Amino acid sequence: MGEAKKKDGVEIVGFACSFCTFKASEMAGSLRMKYPEGVKLVQVPCSSRVDPAFVIKAIFEGADGVFVAGCHPGDCHFIKGNYYTRRKIAALKEMFDAFSMKEKLRLFWVSAAEARRFVEKVTDMHNELKERKNEREKA
Amino acid sequence: MKGRKLKKGDIESALNEFLKGDQHLVLGFEKGENGVSPKIFKGSLDHYSLLNPVFGANAALYLRRLFSKGCQVMLMLRPCEIRAYVELQKLTQIEREDIIAVSIDCPGTISSKDKKGDVPTEADQLTDYFKSSDSMRWACSVCGERRGVVGDAGVRIDRNGNFWVIPYTEKGETLLARMEGESEEVPAEMLIGESKKADKFQVDMETFDKDFEKCTMCMNCRDMCPVCYCIDCVFHGDEYIPKGDALINKILRSGSTKMPQGKELFHLIRMYHVSQTCVGCGACEEACPQGIPLTKYFKGISERLQGMFAYMSGRSFDEAIPYLTFLEDELKDAED
Repeated sequence: MGEAKKKDGVEIVGFACSFCTFKASEMAGSLRMKYPEGVKLVQVPCSSRVDPAFVIKAIFEGADGVFVAGCHPGDCHFIKGNYYTRRKIAALKEMFDAFSMKEKLRLFWVSAAEARRFVEKVTDMHNELKERKNEREKA
Repeated sequence: MKGRKLKKGDIESALNEFLKGDQHLVLGFEKGENGVSPKIFKGSLDHYSLLNPVFGANAALYLRRLFSKGCQVMLMLRPCEIRAYVELQKLTQIEREDIIAVSIDCPGTISSKDKKGDVPTEADQLTDYFKSSDSMRWACSVCGERRGVVGDAGVRIDRNGNFWVIPYTEKGETLLARMEGESEEVPAEMLIGESKKADKFQVDMETFDKDFEKCTMCMNCRDMCPVCYCIDCVFHGDEYIPKGDALINKILRSGSTKMPQGKELFHLIRMYHVSQTCVGCGACEEACPQGIPLTKYFKGISERLQGMFAYMSGRSFDEAIPYLTFLEDELKDAED
């Protein structure tokens, strides 16, 4: 983070599976679709590579939100990786819920062909976090 | 369910009989001059105590990486310790083959930190003692599974103060085989019954920060946790909790930082990592030099997360740990 963060910016770290969601983001780029600039993607070989420790680290080192995105259940390149992701991230969400910060974590299923869906999901998350941040700053 | 009613001295003589075998050991409790403490007996029992009213550490901690062949170990421990052993066995940290685990009904324990004077070691006196004083550890007072119903066999106490040995597996029968008498039907009502379910744990980060303000990051809680078994813990390197140059570089990059840094990181990551295996024994709180209410958090989170998969740590040898397995048709609402 060389330059100072924009004051109203919302930073989102996304863990994207290289076989589907990351491909979808590349496709969104080549189709000249726009998604918020605060979204930083981290390419992972499979969504199950994401240890929930990564998510917790991202949040406590300054990210406003984190999403984990992978292939639709059943479509995993490694056959069953995203079934494990689903269990792990669902449990992590429950834990975030217990700490009253449920909104900070999301789980998406986006296939390589769904560039539009990727943009929609990411923009939606960005807008909600931004709204919450503005409300907090007002109060 | 069939079991055997015990007369005074039955357990001791059966264990002594067991100890006569070659390379046979018993991990149990010893009643010494300064109270009761865990002990591994070889040869014969002396000053044996069935119950231990003081909790210092979870004895399953000593069993990690026990793969010895040809040596038979009988565990005579509290239910929370046997449950931690079952979890470690599922995580392939212990070879089950040579271990006979016997869980003993637990009337509750007091903390080793506030042990003053004599605490009774007999079951009926101990229940009366806890009725008249509020010195029971918080972890024990909210413990939902103080019954000796886990492991290979259980020692239960009925409402009249009689002890019963109940085998749950074939291995458990070996303890019974060394005792005289006939098996009979076990009474349905026991002294220590099922406890009521606790409310869903809910907290916010402000309370968390307040509770963990005193944390010095000594990591004793991790070291004394029976199920936190990784040899190469993620917090050993500079990736999560940087030290020295890595720390200075990080601060130059991100700005002023309060020390010790990474408390939320450490406790939340550990909380998640042990969420499915935590038995709620409270050994972390016992080890904490600052008196942070760790059990409240770890037990609360683990109960919520285990509840999602209808799992309970240490309940049986056959249930797989939820993160290591999956069903294709589940958690339809996981996606946002």
